[in-house]
Amino acid sequence: MSNPSPYLVPDGLFYTNEHEWARVTGGTARVGITDYAAKTLNDIVYLTLPPVGREVKQLASFGTVESIKAVSELYAPLSGTVIGTNQELTNHPELINQSPYDAGWIIELKPSILESEKKSLLSPKQYEEVLKSLDADHQS
Amino acid sequence: MTATKTSKHTPLYEFHRTHGKMVEFAGYDMPIWYTSTLEEHMAVRNRAGIFDVSHMGRVDVTGPDAAGFIERLFPTGIGKQPNGKSVYTLLLNEDAGIIDDLIVLKAEEGKYLLVVNAASKEKDLRHMERVGAGLDFKIDDITETTTMIAIQGPSAVEALQPLTPLPLAEMKRFTHAFSTVKGINSVITRTGYTGEDGFEIIVHNAATGAMAIWEALMRGATPCALGARDSLRLEAGLPLYGSDMDEETNPLEADLGWVISKDKRSYVGWQRLASLTQQGPSKVRRGIVMDERIPRHGFKVTDKSGDEIGLVTSGTFSPVLKRGIAMGYVKAPSPQPGDPVKVVVRDAPSDGRIAKFPFYDDSVYGWKRKPHQQ
Repeated sequence: MSNPSPYLVPDGLFYTNEHEWARVTGGTARVGITDYAAKTLNDIVYLTLPPVGREVKQLASFGTVESIKAVSELYAPLSGTVIGTNQELTNHPELINQSPYDAGWIIELKPSILESEKKSLLSPKQYEEVLKSLDADHQS
Repeated sequence: MTATKTSKHTPLYEFHRTHGKMVEFAGYDMPIWYTSTLEEHMAVRNRAGIFDVSHMGRVDVTGPDAAGFIERLFPTGIGKQPNGKSVYTLLLNEDAGIIDDLIVLKAEEGKYLLVVNAASKEKDLRHMERVGAGLDFKIDDITETTTMIAIQGPSAVEALQPLTPLPLAEMKRFTHAFSTVKGINSVITRTGYTGEDGFEIIVHNAATGAMAIWEALMRGATPCALGARDSLRLEAGLPLYGSDMDEETNPLEADLGWVISKDKRSYVGWQRLASLTQQGPSKVRRGIVMDERIPRHGFKVTDKSGDEIGLVTSGTFSPVLKRGIAMGYVKAPSPQPGDPVKVVVRDAPSDGRIAKFPFYDDSVYGWKRKPHQQ
């Protein structure tokens, strides 16, 4: 099947192969999981998040996201210090399903080595390619 | 990914493929959800849901010695049950280990329909042939020539009644009858795997009629997939064969001692069961409700001081309780409902307490619920 991807991949974000995104604004980065990840997990019911002040490393696990059925690791797109977590998710984890790129953001980071690490992240176009190859695997 | 090519399809496969997220389950391509496991779960608790359970094994047992064979096979006295009963029971090995759990529909003396777990069917059949050696009876596997649909939830009667002349409200739980559904010969049994009132329909010659029945049922019920089936059965405290029990587990440990007919002898496993009953079980299946976090299969259970007392065999998020729930085995003397325990969630000992089954308040949810005052 060569249908266009049924998943949202907004411009202006950086992506990981593990289906996280980062939105860099000034000196901070908001982090969440992609529409594909949210839809694949189905109903998100629980998160385990790092405390503010925790140092995270690029592509290392910083927490977990759970659906009814399964637990998934959350990988940091960028190294840095956690400066905020989305408190709304405590009582409304479904915000990640409803709005994965906005109301469903997960943590906020102060990146420590932004310029060099940015280069290893995927552009929207590259991430679309990752999703296409996953889709091809499903169809084979 | 999933081995789509080698997996079997049920007669409702096209619907699942078009509307659901597919996974391989017990050799079948089945939907894990259609839209949302949470929504499907709550549809069953609040109204009605339909499930394609055609992957379950269905086996006819008939013949001159069939009644004797059935008595030899099961710890439950099925012979003394009236015709039309649907009996939950267990297949045991000589050591009283559980080979499978199943429903036996006793149509009449000498005529039975067994509904077994998909993944256990082949080994069940081998065991049955061994146990039945020398007896005159016939086993017919009718799994592929029938479709099985479950309709579950407080409005199951209203959703199914328009399709069948059988007066459903008059049926007792754990009974069945032969009738028609949308004009197709079917067995209707008032059983299920969700804790709710409801029916399971076995539709004969179903390849053509199954989809019409499914679509007609959708007028009063929400299509539900395997994800909701698992969270519903877990919330109801019902064990899943292969996860919560296997041949290393006996019925007393599995908290299923109630299926054993005390006055019954000479079935496979009874001698071992007799001595086990004397000793008492060394571990027992129990429920756990968490304060926070979600327990999962394989997580350790400790007492409040941190000493390991057991293992989680199934865990999920309960949509009704909005908490993590689990069932698992804890060492005897087992803690009682309300007793504090901890579940080790990824290195973090997390607080919970022993809970009774079902996990929900059964005056509000489940088949015992009080009728709504609206």
